Amino acid sequence: MRTGYHFGSGWGRYIPYLFLIPGLLLYLLIALGPSVATSVFSFTDATGIRGAPINWIGLENYREFLFLGRASQDNYAALGRTLVFCFFVTTIQFGLGLLVAVLVNQRLRGTSIFRTLFFLPVILGAVIQGLIWSLFLYPLGGPMARILEFFGTSSQFFGGPPPEAFASVIFVQIWANMGFTMVIFLAGLQTIPDDLYEAARIDGASSWQVFSNVTWPLLTPSVNTNILLNIIGSLQAWQLFLVLIGYRNGTQVLGYLIYAQGFGQTSGSVTSSFRQGYAAAASIVLFLLVLVLGITTQNILRRREERILG
Amino acid sequence: MRKMFLPVLLILVLLSLVLSACASSATPAPADTQAPAEGGAPAADEKVTLRVLVHQNPPMVEFMEAFNQKFQEKYPNVTVDMSVVNANDLSTVTQTRLTANDVDVVDVFGFANAARPYMKNVDPPNWQTLIEAGYLLDLSDQPFLANYYPASIEDAGTYDGKVYQINGGTVSYSGIYYNKDLFAQNNVDVPTTWSELVAACETFAAADIPCMTAGGKDGWPIFVGAYGLIGSIYPDQAALVEGLWNGSIKWNDAKSMEMWDKMKVYAQDMMEAGASGIAGDAAPGRFASGAVAMFSGGTWYAAAIEEAEPAFEWGYIPFPGSDNADENKYLFGKYDQGWAIATKSPNTETALLYLSEFSDPASYQEWVNAVGFFPTQPGATLDTQIGMEVAPYLENFKVGYEQYWVAPKGAGQYANPYASYYKPFGEFDDPQELADKVQADLQSGLDANQ
Amino acid sequence: MNTTLKTRTPINWGRIASYAILLIFAIIYAGPLLMLINTAFKTLPDFMKDATSLATSLNIENFSEAWTRANFPRYLTNTLIYTISATAIYTITAVFVAFPVARGYIRGGNYILTLFIIALFLPPALIPQFQMMLALGLYNNPLGYILLFTVNPIGIVILVNYIKTVPIELDEAAAIDGSGYFRFVISVLLPLIRPAIATVAVLHAIGIWNELILPTIYLTNQDYYPITRGMIVFQGVYGSDWPTLAAGVLIMTLPMVIIFLVLQRYIVSGMTAGAVKG
Repeated sequence: MRTGYHFGSGWGRYIPYLFLIPGLLLYLLIALGPSVATSVFSFTDATGIRGAPINWIGLENYREFLFLGRASQDNYAALGRTLVFCFFVTTIQFGLGLLVAVLVNQRLRGTSIFRTLFFLPVILGAVIQGLIWSLFLYPLGGPMARILEFFGTSSQFFGGPPPEAFASVIFVQIWANMGFTMVIFLAGLQTIPDDLYEAARIDGASSWQVFSNVTWPLLTPSVNTNILLNIIGSLQAWQLFLVLIGYRNGTQVLGYLIYAQGFGQTSGSVTSSFRQGYAAAASIVLFLLVLVLGITTQNILRRREERILG
Repeated sequence: MRKMFLPVLLILVLLSLVLSACASSATPAPADTQAPAEGGAPAADEKVTLRVLVHQNPPMVEFMEAFNQKFQEKYPNVTVDMSVVNANDLSTVTQTRLTANDVDVVDVFGFANAARPYMKNVDPPNWQTLIEAGYLLDLSDQPFLANYYPASIEDAGTYDGKVYQINGGTVSYSGIYYNKDLFAQNNVDVPTTWSELVAACETFAAADIPCMTAGGKDGWPIFVGAYGLIGSIYPDQAALVEGLWNGSIKWNDAKSMEMWDKMKVYAQDMMEAGASGIAGDAAPGRFASGAVAMFSGGTWYAAAIEEAEPAFEWGYIPFPGSDNADENKYLFGKYDQGWAIATKSPNTETALLYLSEFSDPASYQEWVNAVGFFPTQPGATLDTQIGMEVAPYLENFKVGYEQYWVAPKGAGQYANPYASYYKPFGEFDDPQELADKVQADLQSGLDANQ
Repeated sequence: MNTTLKTRTPINWGRIASYAILLIFAIIYAGPLLMLINTAFKTLPDFMKDATSLATSLNIENFSEAWTRANFPRYLTNTLIYTISATAIYTITAVFVAFPVARGYIRGGNYILTLFIIALFLPPALIPQFQMMLALGLYNNPLGYILLFTVNPIGIVILVNYIKTVPIELDEAAAIDGSGYFRFVISVLLPLIRPAIATVAVLHAIGIWNELILPTIYLTNQDYYPITRGMIVFQGVYGSDWPTLAAGVLIMTLPMVIIFLVLQRYIVSGMTAGAVKG
């Protein structure tokens, strides 16, 4: 899609390249290069300790991760949990974000306060988000515990049985990031001209019809952005698990498992060896998963966008 | 405002670059202060910055800060730059800083989990890899080694015939703290057998007092709290590990089933309901507040309990896992924190001086009192409450299972004798089911590496 | 917008429902924050006795304790320096990548864009990155740390999409007027894409501000710690002392909230302006 260049000819034609180089170079050096190097690491038994011997072991790490004993089944379980996490977080966060964005967009009085409030957790970061909820869900008399007591039940939240703890983390993840989804939808909603709404109302459309025939189709770019970012983000997110639960059997997601196995945090012992080569292989597996899901989603969404918006 | 945006942005960029350049040049980078001759003895007027790395442990950090003060006063040309990291981060940061040659003295835990001959295809522990890559200094000929029990040097600090660490003390993790007042008020005797412990808990439950607490939120306090149970069934834990590896002991044989049955009672009947919400370092406070009768935890908590409530009356006993009182006299534990020196450090002489000062008996005695470890130096005594409580059991101290165990590759994540697998901390209710699962997970690893 | 022809305004159920739903969300969002504030003003024994009760007095000492113990002034300054520098460098370089790609002024623009998009899914680069930083001598060095944050593929994507909405006729017009490439980008384009820049810069800055693992690995000198690092060390000590911990979290949160409130209006007006233009 090269159009005519307006700002010069001859040698001047190459100025854009010149200014592009710093950004591109930084990216290759800091992000892309090392990432590719990770895949090289995955074929070795590197421990990460400089000076320790590194041997090429081919696909051995992959074989161990995917096939060796019960440990590999634990890996698949973590994989499954990652997908479950992704599914629930994506769908619920998407739905709630959309709902809230539509409501806030009405520009009723005071809605800017809501918008600020809902986006606040995004800027606070995982540690603060985790601490805030650890406090609120404090099982020994914290607010939520009190509320549940009132209803006659109780829960240990993050310390409870794995399904409960897992659900609690899903909840916090959604809480933390809904604001982000909302903001993207808001930006998209702002691009829809008001006269389209007018026209629809004059035609006698109900609120729901307005939404489904005007708002929803025109929101497609934001919808696509949100779905894609959501899926990829939730597949790779595990910081909240670290802050809220720790490495508990039955709750691990793949990202956390990789980190723990690479940095020797799987057992209670502080002497576990670091297995960077193995962790690199595991992270390549996760990467492939994200890649496949991401590209598939991207394709589906792009086709949909073309269909709707032409 | 609009027109000012760009110039303001550019100025900000320049300003921040200048600031950070100033920041990095004003603070002397550690490498700048090295003596020109590597490892040369510090001349009296040569400035040395000694970089020390420790993990977060409030009483220990407090002691180290005072110790550093004294060291700097004694050697005015030395500045001690001590970094504190969370215990979880310690091994990571140790590794990165050693690799970057950015640290002189590191805090290490007693060498444990070495690969034994009967273990097939296991990865060496991280300290072994560090030693083999040449990162830890050989301390074998140092005079201050003589201050320590030879056994502690041998067990905790030696590899392949050479010494790489001096160890500051041992801790036990298989005992229970008990609330003297609550016991007296409810006419409960200190339990010496398992049945007595069960009965004691039932008495407390009837009086609406939670029997036991632990820092369940962090996960490990629950299963570490039950290490005493393992010990009562398998007193020789080195043999236990070997037996598991060669198949003569299984986690679902009759003897082990006894352990699992008791663990169920511990996790579900004895441990208070809210334990899984209590963070590890909140547990001492909870116990010291007088709310629960017992606290299943290691001896390192003693200092925290004292600090939380100095007037609180407590005692410490080995976890009575057996019905035979004689078998409940052992305390299981590990070698806790020790010191090692980076081989590539430019300040090795100063670092050796640092360790030497630490090993001085007077200084060491203060250390022991501050952190509550059992001494690794003869002549040092634990004058504190916890010292008195464990004194009768000290000669029966044994290194525990956790320090011997290395899992075979491919073993499932349940291949451990953890009481925390039971509900409400985990998913299991039936001892047989759990035992079978644990053994199956272990077996798959053993089978995979034949 | 509803227009009413009756003399009496009917009850707008839609509006009530909207407020109701928003209120429910607001409680879920504000509740934990209020709990945090409440806890920060309690004493520890009060908290252990009853976690949810209202603080009876303003125990300011929690805050002063947190302030000194966590060495906030230094860490805050560090965080500001890192965030502003890295974001500034990133934003400028990003614009010069996004612009030619969006306009098609360079060959292979689409490949470059794809290259950046791939980065969204990349495996973690921690170890090779570390080895490289060591080799370059940038370990435990603020400049090296800032360098790590000068890339962000999402921002490029956002910028490219937004620049495409700027009519290309502007380029032509400016070129005819004799403006060079650089001058055009700086003086004409940048102001026009201000909303996108604001979004990209803010998102990027948030990422830097909240980063925890990288400082742990790369910044071992206490004087270099950013505020997240200070926070974790603080939590390691005060983990179960919720009142002091809460006070510390509040102190850390406050500057972020203020900066966010200030910048937020900027983004919003930019986004609204974008809508009007569209």
